[in-house]
Amino acid sequence: MLSYIARRLMFLPIVLLGVTLLVFFAMSFLSPYQLVSAYIKSPEELKNQNLDDLVHKYGLDQPMPVQYVNWMKNVLRGDLGYSVSANMYVTEALLTRLPATLELALFAIIPVILGGVWLGTVAAKNYNKPLDHITRVFAIVGWSLPDFVFGLIMLMVFYGVLGWFPPGRLSVWADNVILSGDFVQYTGMHVIDSILNRRWDILWDAVRHLIAPTLTLAYLWWAYLLRITRSSMLDVLNKDYVRTARAKGLPERLVMTRHVRRNAMIPVATVAGSMVLGLLGGVVIVETVFDFKGVGLLTATGAQQLDYTLILGTTLFFGALLVITNLVVDVLYAVLDPRVRLE
Amino acid sequence: MKSKLYSVLVVLLVICFAIPVGAAPYDPNTFVYVGIGEPDTFDPAYAYDTGSGEIIHQLYDNLFGYADGDIDEIVPLLATAVPSVENGLLSADGKTMRVPIRKGVKFHNGAELTPEDVEYTFERAMLADPAGGPVWMFLEPLLGVQTMKDVIVLAGGPETFENITDVDPAVLRKAYDLVDASVEVDGDDVVFHLAAPYPPFIQIMSKGGSWSSILNKDWMIANGAWDGQPDTWAKWYDQAKEDMTLYEQANGTGPFKLQAWDRSGGQVVLKRFDEYWQGPASLETVFVKYIDEATTRKLMLQAGDADAVYVSTDLLDQLRGVDGITIIEDLPYIGNTTLLYNYSIPVQGNEDIVGSGKLDGKGIPSNFFADINIRKAFNYSFDYDSYLEYVAMGAGTMPVGLAPQVLPYVNPDQEWYSYDLDKATEYFKKAFDGEVWEKGFELTLLYNTGNEQRKTAAEILEANIEMINPKFKVNVAGMQWATYLTKLRASSLPVFFMGWAMDFPDVHNFYVPYMHSAGAFAGYCGQGLVDLAKDQFDDLIGQAINATDPAEREALYYKLQDLSFEYAVAMPYIDSTQHRVHRDWVEGFVYCPAYSCQYDFYTISKAQR
Repeated sequence: MLSYIARRLMFLPIVLLGVTLLVFFAMSFLSPYQLVSAYIKSPEELKNQNLDDLVHKYGLDQPMPVQYVNWMKNVLRGDLGYSVSANMYVTEALLTRLPATLELALFAIIPVILGGVWLGTVAAKNYNKPLDHITRVFAIVGWSLPDFVFGLIMLMVFYGVLGWFPPGRLSVWADNVILSGDFVQYTGMHVIDSILNRRWDILWDAVRHLIAPTLTLAYLWWAYLLRITRSSMLDVLNKDYVRTARAKGLPERLVMTRHVRRNAMIPVATVAGSMVLGLLGGVVIVETVFDFKGVGLLTATGAQQLDYTLILGTTLFFGALLVITNLVVDVLYAVLDPRVRLE
Repeated sequence: MKSKLYSVLVVLLVICFAIPVGAAPYDPNTFVYVGIGEPDTFDPAYAYDTGSGEIIHQLYDNLFGYADGDIDEIVPLLATAVPSVENGLLSADGKTMRVPIRKGVKFHNGAELTPEDVEYTFERAMLADPAGGPVWMFLEPLLGVQTMKDVIVLAGGPETFENITDVDPAVLRKAYDLVDASVEVDGDDVVFHLAAPYPPFIQIMSKGGSWSSILNKDWMIANGAWDGQPDTWAKWYDQAKEDMTLYEQANGTGPFKLQAWDRSGGQVVLKRFDEYWQGPASLETVFVKYIDEATTRKLMLQAGDADAVYVSTDLLDQLRGVDGITIIEDLPYIGNTTLLYNYSIPVQGNEDIVGSGKLDGKGIPSNFFADINIRKAFNYSFDYDSYLEYVAMGAGTMPVGLAPQVLPYVNPDQEWYSYDLDKATEYFKKAFDGEVWEKGFELTLLYNTGNEQRKTAAEILEANIEMINPKFKVNVAGMQWATYLTKLRASSLPVFFMGWAMDFPDVHNFYVPYMHSAGAFAGYCGQGLVDLAKDQFDDLIGQAINATDPAEREALYYKLQDLSFEYAVAMPYIDSTQHRVHRDWVEGFVYCPAYSCQYDFYTISKAQR
């Protein structure tokens, strides 16, 4: 197992290098003038400076391989340039906004997986019965709805009409507490910070603000997981070893948990990587609709304002995140299926 | 096991529904405004945008202000009197202005306001002079120049330099002396020495002009700003905004203190300053939040989580008649939108816009808009009424010149252009001795992508001009703002849209950009306009700004307004108006067209419920 993980880790830098090459390839479509802000060390450089001088200074008139090496040196130093739309360095903007996105993604992944797997199991166990059809229709509607439409519906119903789940990350009174200086922000994730500060009122407020965006993300992905889990469960339910387990008198609950669900999870783990990618894509829309100020909203704003530096920075960030997530999924896959390790 | 799981789920659902999760409890002491466009900086010497001005307005006070938002009535704030020739505080030649400074005013840090603070504020701004910033408004009246670089030239320095450290220290010292001599402390007064009479200088120093917010000298120095010494200022000259002392902190004399600029949360929090010299504000805390999504802002207002929000004109209808929401419309705005003409269009390399570059029906020549008949024909071809009613949704008024009618010295009875295709035809027939009518033309009318109102304005013009003569061809095309600006700077757009919002409420701030040879748009309009301006407008603009007699100023500005009509300098097509949307418990709203903020939170209170 360890050697498998070590092998996968060895591939990580190569894949990451591939990501940087792809991003750099995308950058090559931009003019040197548009790229300058990705190289400058301080926004002051853009003032009173001839752009041609800056292009020359940062080697943007050099051959592509030289430009790539120069750019990679900056990237390795964590220097992704200055973002005009965020009004700060790209790295700083990403770090500032990351806790919100992480909080949202961590909260979303739980209902996505639990809900999707549960729905898939229910559908498989009730194969071709009304519950199977109802579950599938429910989830497929979610899959078919554009995320911004569903997000706006959630916002209108649960905030506009019922007043339950407001947009943003915290209510005004909670913001007041957080910004007063008495509240220590350890992680920037309000749920964790409120627990560490033992402010249960803020914890509830933070959770209340997470429910609508989390459910929006979750509902959109339930159909995907439901379909995989359902077909995988149906496949496993017909296997000889399941029949044997039932024939030897094992209780149905044990058959399902020990023999069926565990084996059915292998394809589910396989699609988890692409699901994470989809979740990150969904975060851009959901954060915009619910005013959840994370990396997604940052990216959307950058794209609207044609802030190439920020777009390239977030692309690199999401790319690296996806590669690392895929590594985790691969490891998880090996845990679930020993044959992978042996291969 | 299963039944236990269901029981837990049921309990959780009950908790969710039972816990009071409705709208936040009504708090009459906290005000939440949700807008768009975050501040750029809190430094008054750098800030030149409404997002920054919105916050700076609440944190600082100026020497003067407007009584109840009336731009015609200036009152003293941190000064104790408004200088005039009558009260002896303005010299008869209009070049020396004495401003007595109020005593007993406290800054947020507890320090007391002194005349030295006022002197430091203006000198520090001029010596810092961030490129593209607002400080020209001090330099022009006080030293007769536009930038600190010009002051260095006045002091005998080079016209261009790579870095200010390359300039001879003796020249820098002389430049400092020029700045220093323009603002002096004399006892309890501050004396401004103007290069020439400049009547709107008082408006420049009035509340609403974030650049003239008064700073605390000692606090500034202690926090790393210019140390007030004659030989060190270059170190603080034209800094990056992040490096400036007041980028994200503040210490003013205004009614609110800055508690936080929460950039990750997209909000600014202000706290009441209890020792404010005019008495503490009614509101204790103000949240200014920035949310781009219009639906979210609207829902927050409806839910009562926001007391006021920004709503664009096209979405106002969605909120009309909604219970508990007040919409105030038709507030006069000191700004306009204009179609401008390029008198000397470059043809080479510009073929995609000007076609053949000749008057052969397949393009336009370089001097197409230099012919006054073409400009007049275009001005008569636009359907102003339809635009105002159907595109601007009534949010504006018809212009009568290049300066908005809300300003003094604008003649409301001035003859102006209207939609008249007969007159347009008449002028097209006269243009280029009939050659245009006979051969026709083709040009591309560009707008900046995303600005749908400008796109529609271009399409209105296209349809009407093509209707006049089938040989006339106007193409409408969108262009990204950055590219649009690049093309403008290269003077390569033959005809283009621009908007202008006032810096200070005076007509001078409109005639300079539109009609002066060194105005903001002169470079975009080509040498033809520059020559015309030098010949016909510049002297008048200079005379008008230096005139101290209101009657004389009025006559001169009326003349300029008439000239702008006679020469069809440009085609202003709407004087915009503004609106505000807030909950009906908001009281004390005062509108001032000179304010860059949506709300002056000092006057605002919330009704008890």
